[in-house]
Amino acid sequence: MEENKKMCMVLFSGSIDKLTAAGVILSGAVADDMDVDIYVLLQGARAFRKDIADDPKKLNMAENVELKEEFLKSLENLKVKTWLEFFREAKSLANVKVHICGLAGKVWGADKVSDFVDITDDIVGIGECITAAQESDVHLFI
Amino acid sequence: MTTEELKSLKVNKSVDARGTSCPGPLLAAKKAMGEIKSGDILEVLSADEGTKKDIPKWATKKKHEYLGTVEESGYFKIYVKKG
Repeated sequence: MEENKKMCMVLFSGSIDKLTAAGVILSGAVADDMDVDIYVLLQGARAFRKDIADDPKKLNMAENVELKEEFLKSLENLKVKTWLEFFREAKSLANVKVHICGLAGKVWGADKVSDFVDITDDIVGIGECITAAQESDVHLFI
Repeated sequence: MTTEELKSLKVNKSVDARGTSCPGPLLAAKKAMGEIKSGDILEVLSADEGTKKDIPKWATKKKHEYLGTVEESGYFKIYVKKG
C-alpha cells in the first residue's frame, strides 16, 4: 500500500486570521490523505492554551486588525468553521498530530499538555520539529 | 458524459454541501467516499465556485473517476465514481 505523503506545518502565528488559514490548508491536506505534524511555536502556543483557544475575543488579527469584527462576521455568515473546529475535524479524519514547543508553552505560562486545548498531543523540543521538516514532502511556515 | 446522461445516473450517495464554503464540500466528498464502495457513484451539491475545480482534481488524484458537473439554479451537482 502506498505510504501517505507527509506535511510539516510550523505554526508560529497565534492570530485568528492565520489560524483560520491554517485550518483551511489542514483540511485540504487531510482530504488528500496526508499525514500532518503541526509544530506550534511562540505566538501559536498562546492560542492553543485551553482558556484562550475557543475565545475569539482573546485572539488578535495579524493583518487588517481594525477589521476583526467584519472578518469574524463574514466567516459566520459563510458558515465557515472556527479555526479550532477545522483542527478538530482534521484530527478526526486523518493522522494529524499537534506538538507544542516546550519553550513556547513556558513563555505563556503553560508547560503541561493539560494546559492546552484537547487536540494537543504532546510537548516537544525543536529537534523533533527539524526532523519532521526534513522528512516531510510539504513544509509550511505560518 | 452529457448533461442528460449525468442527470440520468443512478446515484448511490448524495451529499448536500450547499451550506458550506471551501473546504466544506471537499471534506464532505472525502467523508462520503469512505461510506460507499468501489464503482458507486457519489453526487455532491455545492454552491461554492472553487469546488467546481477542486473536487474533479481531487477525485482524479485519488484514483476516482470524475464524471461531470451539472449546473442548476444557484448551485451545481458534481458526479464522481469511486475507484
